[in-house]
Amino acid sequence: MKAMREDLHVLTGSYALDAISDTEREEFERHLQHCPACEAEVRGMRETAARLALACAVTAPARMEQQVLAATYRTRQLPPLSADRPRRALSRRLALPRRASSRSAFPRGAVTRRVAVLAAAASVAVAAALGITQLSAQHQLDQARATAIARVVTAPDAHVATARTSVGGSVTVVTSAALREAVVSASGMASLPSSRVYQVWVMSPSGARSAGLMHGSSLLASAVRPGDRIGITVEPAGGTARPTTTPVAVLPV
Amino acid sequence: MRQLQPEPPPPPDLAGLLGQVARGDHRAFELAYAELSGPVYGVVRQVLRDPAQSEEVAQEVLLEIWRTASRYDQARGSAAAWALTIAHRRAVDRVRSENACSRREQKAAEPEPAEDDVAETVAATLEHQRVRRCMDGLTGLQRESIKLAYYNGYSYPEVAKLLGVALGTVKTRIRDGLIRMRDCMEVTW
Repeated sequence: MKAMREDLHVLTGSYALDAISDTEREEFERHLQHCPACEAEVRGMRETAARLALACAVTAPARMEQQVLAATYRTRQLPPLSADRPRRALSRRLALPRRASSRSAFPRGAVTRRVAVLAAAASVAVAAALGITQLSAQHQLDQARATAIARVVTAPDAHVATARTSVGGSVTVVTSAALREAVVSASGMASLPSSRVYQVWVMSPSGARSAGLMHGSSLLASAVRPGDRIGITVEPAGGTARPTTTPVAVLPV
Repeated sequence: MRQLQPEPPPPPDLAGLLGQVARGDHRAFELAYAELSGPVYGVVRQVLRDPAQSEEVAQEVLLEIWRTASRYDQARGSAAAWALTIAHRRAVDRVRSENACSRREQKAAEPEPAEDDVAETVAATLEHQRVRRCMDGLTGLQRESIKLAYYNGYSYPEVAKLLGVALGTVKTRIRDGLIRMRDCMEVTW
């Protein structure tokens, strides 16, 4: 019996990665109820697995959002588990579906019907759909630029530096020395009045050269050399020829 | 003198959002969707590969998050881990329900960032670099076992067969490797 327990305990990793059969999963979940140490270990491994998932995040197709949001308006939510509803299986406690349901809420070939449902849905979903349409158009316009940026961040020699800025948030610079390009990406910086912009500079001992204005969340700087630094300053709308304020952040490339 | 706006609000607290979602708040769900759709779609696609099928499964997962938000328990782990566990399991269920004969034979592949959203790609690149660095600290067998199990959705007996090692060895390597990854990535739980 003890030998079996130890054998089960080794399954924590395979369980956390969903690498076991349904039968073993049920057996292991029964074991978990009596093994707080195993449950704690599984929890840490789940968090680790989540990091593996975050590392492969990609932008979901834009049409997904309107379809999911519309579906929430016709999907009843589960009530919380309460004390008088005994927590039997771990999968119930964690609310993990045992099996993908055979009937999909998103049948293929039902796009027309989905659009009709969407049109009838509450205005929130419709507004979201309109927002998405604009976003896709923007995406197409930026496609060439986005591809160039993607080339840098996926370059084999991509080097990453991150720093906090003096106006909140952070700036990340991904540089490929081989491509001589750097992607500057900011998030969470204070928003500026319309008379001001964030301007990005490539700074070298010979001076600062503008890499452009930060309109979106990212910007591509070309012809960067080892030893250069990337700086961000607040400038009048339209930008300036040289920096006129103290940078809110400076990072090496 | 330049006047800066007050600091923007911090990124939404996912656990708090899920609490609101559980009470039927559609706006909170939109915010949760913004946080989760990229990782959910990414991990599903990593396992399934087929974009159309991945989209279908990712939609089911995100709707499942809406439906079961009340079952998320903060004391039992992070909201992201809860959601991504659902996503990974759904993807694996889909793989296993397919005809076993038509299983794709693939090498464990590195996750590939998308080409159409920079901020997300950069965030994923950072996480990817951390993952890669920590993966480098594993033994070859630990690394291959984890990649085949998680990114390809193979069961540990399948992993054992692919790597030509005993079942017990794979179970142990997956566990040891994950513990090492957890410590290397300074995961808190």
